[in-house]
Amino acid sequence: MSSLVIQDLHIAIGEKEIVKGLTLTVNSGEVHAVMGPNGTGKSTLAKAIAGHPDYTITSGDVLLDGQSILAQEADERARAGLFLAFQYPSEIPGVSIANFLRAAVQARLPEGEEIDASGYYKRLYAKMDLLKIDRKFTSRSVNEGFSGGEKKRCEILQMAMLEPKLALMDETDSGLDIDALRVVADGVNTLRGPGLGVLLITHYQRLLDYIVPDFVHVMYDGRIVKSGDKSLALELEAKGYDWVKKEFALANA
Amino acid sequence: MKPLTDLETIATPEVDEAMANPVIGIDQTAGNFKYDVKYEFDAGTGLNENTVRYISGVKKEAPWILDFRLKALQTFLAKPMPTHWATRDLENINFDKIRYYLSSGQKPKRTWDEVPEDIKRTFERLGIPEQERKYLAGVEAQFDSEAAYSNIKDIVAKQGVIFVNSTEGLREHPEIFRKFFGKVIPTGDNKFSALNSAVFSGGSFIYVPPGVKVAQPLQAYFRINAENFGQFERTLIIADEGAEVMYMEGCTAPKFSTSTLHSAVVELVALKGAKIQYITVQNWANNVFNLVTKRGVAHEEAEIKWIDCNIGSRLTMKYPGVVLKGRKARGEVISIALANDGQHQDTGAKMIHAADETTSNIVAKSISVGQGRSSYRGVVHIPKRLKGCKNNTECDALLINTNSRTDTYPAITVRGDRNYVQHEASVSKVNEEMIFYMQQRGLTEGQAMSLAVNGFINDLARQFPMEYSVELKRLIDLEMEGSVG
Amino acid sequence: MSASTLSAPPASTLTGAFTPEVFAAHLARLPDLPAWWLERKRAAYERFAALPLPTRTDEAWRFSNISTLTLDGFTVPTADATAVPHHAPIGIPKAAKLVFANGRLFSREPLSSDLAQRGVIVTTLQEALTQHGDLVREHLLAQPSRFDSAKFTALHEAFLSDGAFIHVPRGVEIDDPIGVFSYALGPDAAVFPHTLVVAGENTRVTVIDYFGSTDDTEAQFAIGANDLYAGHGAQVTYIGKQDWSHRALSFQANSTVVRRDARVQSLNLHLGARQARHESLSQLQAPGAFSEMLALTVARDDQEFDQRTLQIHQAPNTKSDLLYKNALLERARTIFSGLIIVDPDAQKTDAYQSNRNLMLSDDAEANSLPGLEIQANDVRCTHGATSSRIDPEQEFYLQSRGIAKAAADELLTFGFFEEVLNRLTNDDLHDALRTLIQTKFKK
Repeated sequence: MSSLVIQDLHIAIGEKEIVKGLTLTVNSGEVHAVMGPNGTGKSTLAKAIAGHPDYTITSGDVLLDGQSILAQEADERARAGLFLAFQYPSEIPGVSIANFLRAAVQARLPEGEEIDASGYYKRLYAKMDLLKIDRKFTSRSVNEGFSGGEKKRCEILQMAMLEPKLALMDETDSGLDIDALRVVADGVNTLRGPGLGVLLITHYQRLLDYIVPDFVHVMYDGRIVKSGDKSLALELEAKGYDWVKKEFALANA
Repeated sequence: MKPLTDLETIATPEVDEAMANPVIGIDQTAGNFKYDVKYEFDAGTGLNENTVRYISGVKKEAPWILDFRLKALQTFLAKPMPTHWATRDLENINFDKIRYYLSSGQKPKRTWDEVPEDIKRTFERLGIPEQERKYLAGVEAQFDSEAAYSNIKDIVAKQGVIFVNSTEGLREHPEIFRKFFGKVIPTGDNKFSALNSAVFSGGSFIYVPPGVKVAQPLQAYFRINAENFGQFERTLIIADEGAEVMYMEGCTAPKFSTSTLHSAVVELVALKGAKIQYITVQNWANNVFNLVTKRGVAHEEAEIKWIDCNIGSRLTMKYPGVVLKGRKARGEVISIALANDGQHQDTGAKMIHAADETTSNIVAKSISVGQGRSSYRGVVHIPKRLKGCKNNTECDALLINTNSRTDTYPAITVRGDRNYVQHEASVSKVNEEMIFYMQQRGLTEGQAMSLAVNGFINDLARQFPMEYSVELKRLIDLEMEGSVG
Repeated sequence: MSASTLSAPPASTLTGAFTPEVFAAHLARLPDLPAWWLERKRAAYERFAALPLPTRTDEAWRFSNISTLTLDGFTVPTADATAVPHHAPIGIPKAAKLVFANGRLFSREPLSSDLAQRGVIVTTLQEALTQHGDLVREHLLAQPSRFDSAKFTALHEAFLSDGAFIHVPRGVEIDDPIGVFSYALGPDAAVFPHTLVVAGENTRVTVIDYFGSTDDTEAQFAIGANDLYAGHGAQVTYIGKQDWSHRALSFQANSTVVRRDARVQSLNLHLGARQARHESLSQLQAPGAFSEMLALTVARDDQEFDQRTLQIHQAPNTKSDLLYKNALLERARTIFSGLIIVDPDAQKTDAYQSNRNLMLSDDAEANSLPGLEIQANDVRCTHGATSSRIDPEQEFYLQSRGIAKAAADELLTFGFFEEVLNRLTNDDLHDALRTLIQTKFKK
């Protein structure tokens, strides 16, 4: 049983505060959706938790299984079980997916232990079959020249291989048409289970038609202003974000 | 290539207005006239120590300036022509046949009424007094070696802005100008900066006090009237902390059968947080050798931007530079060059990074028409152990005819792993499909070509003040007329 | 200017260790040479002795460290070598092998009898001079020196004693690479390796030129050159692996001629020497010609790599594609100076030139001079140069997958090399070169 606990988190880029006191707990087996208008700090939250150097956590804490991760480098957090599916995954010319994932798997082995190459490929191909990904895919450079859908599928494949405890999925639906969206959602649903907690960041309800969340949180101006179950997402869809803005303004009045 | 819709922004009603009443200074045909002027002061033909003493004498200069000039003359004589990298056309300059100083007096007039009639007629024909009334904060009009007219609007003068010619600047305000004079561009920087340092006359000396933002541009207009003449103006602009100023220069000369030399030195100093924008529209006649050294020093958080447009001259060699001396200083060169038959536009930019987090940007576009040749030369230098420096350079060349020529010669030095430099260049011709598309809509090939060329430089032309960008378009139309067979 | 530089320098400073006596001794040790070749060597020596060393103001030597160039203190080896390294530097099957030590043939592995019967020739220049004189005369050092380094090319021609001669006659395709190994042995040795490849119509051949020293600490001087000629429709792949001693001074002048519809792919790996200048000239002489010019450099310690390239489009519808990548560590310096020249009649030229410098140290210095001289208007010519460290976003992406920073940087650096190696179609070669370059990088 794992948990990601975010406690009164404040995040700044340079001098500017973006996230202004956010509290949230994600346990394994749960899928939480964080929704909100653009520019409200959703992606900042994901990148900062993953340890991107451009973001400064000015106060609050993030605990993974009870341990603060804030002093850790991005790669240490990842090895501790955190996975960030990027909104805009980097293109890495010259590094094949197979080599890249191999290095990532190797990094998780104890010092001095070499990866079992045949076991690795067997597992990789099994995951690819599970996610219905063509094997030729692995010889291509990571994300280079990929379509939006291919990039997102590549993210899901990495998630499947690295078996995180907690996945932060940043606008996973952006740039996808309906077919690509379905493929990606199928992938996430396949990986969903008691061992995995998911924090799904999205602007639109449409992703939640395919990945049904257990909890929905509405984020506005750097905070969570409303939480509920999946019906909240539908309500939001019906009433629009202006409704949240108004409610939030009233609550603060 | 930009889609047609982008071009339409230039084809506004202002075009017609400008046609009817052209802001002359860009159209070469309009500058091709001369009046006979009797000069009171003439240093004669050829260059030696006496020429230098004569110039310094008529200007009643302080001894240190004469000394500076004489040393510069020695440097000029000692330095070889830079033909190991530059064109051998330079060897066609005959320094013994040039007249180095011609004027009708050293003190410019403050009103147009006081300017001698024949000289006044020249500038009226070039439209200068009218531009001054319309949108300029101050004007200096140089006729051969000296400014015939120099004035600054009262409202600007009251803010403490100094706008005088070089003779006056060194004589009346040595405490301000001597400190920076010859410091940004030392005499020995190159053979032609040394020549200028020996025989300089005219040009603008400008000082903008701390925090003063000059709302309208200051303009200098350089006119060559005499044959076999060399014009050597010297400009120094100092923007004190937080000050902002825009300076524009234009030029014309009649077309003589013999060659004319123009060799200026322009130094800019932007102190902390200051901004200087320097706009040149160079339209010398096709017999002018235009060999100019331009450089600015940008201190902490200061910004220097050169907008440099070269259309005229036989040979132009000019690489405006910025020394980024203070943290977070910014430098920019926007360059447009058009080389037609018999012309070589050898232009470019230099960015010398000397402090952390400095950024520079170079965008150069050239068009070669007929047997015209355009060359880009660039230097980007990020020396020892700086961090957070960035340069971005983009050079695009358009070749119109089968025998047009373009060259690109950048030199980029980067030290250390904390800086970022990117250079991209491309050479292309006008897209035939696009020309056909426009022809199918009823345009002639020449019109289509003009539109295409204007589209090529449109994003840069927009950075010019409206009066200039309209004229730029008109000039390109003229140049393109004969380019398609 | 001091008085001493005004007067002509004494002859000894112009010739250094390569005095007329040393040249005479060199000629005396050679077998009987065809008259034309002997005459050319003598003329080359005259040019060498008369030409000055490059100076700082020579445009073609801009940014080069001229002060560390020297002709002094070297010897032209006279004794036969007794041993060369046993290791197989690029361990893939070879169609034939020639091993030279200090400019003399040390050992050889001949072609299969099948290839020999089909007229393929892999032999020494000395043999070729007598048996295939016309071919040698037509192609050996026949192209102009275009980089203001005639002094060095003349020195090479004067002292060239032996090298490889490879001729593939019309229609023959060879799968396995032909290996040429040139070793410098002993302190202060000056060597003059040469590889001449003449690929006839519709042929296919791969040649690997390997340059190395037996001892990585010897101060040596290598002045090498090659001539590649790709006839109508030929496909030539050339790999040059420069791994001279880390105290060596290296000068290499490569020349490629590409004829109609022919394709030459060259990849030069620069690993060794303290100071190495590498000149590469590609002439695209007939429609359909294509030259792909690739280079990878791992520059470290105090090494200086000075790479000069020329892509000359002399005919319409020709193509060239250059990608030079440098990884710079420690206090290393690199210079890339490239020029695309499009002649007035070479319409429909498609030329590309790219120099990428990966800065891995705060003390390293990269100089980039990508140039264009275009005299035809219907062309597609672009060039680009970048100098930067590893992209922080890529680094973060890898770290977010659990890969530690050092491992991430290594992976990204190998990816940087891989973009060049990926251009090779021979997988075995690709793998072998990857191992080589990674080894140098990890040192």
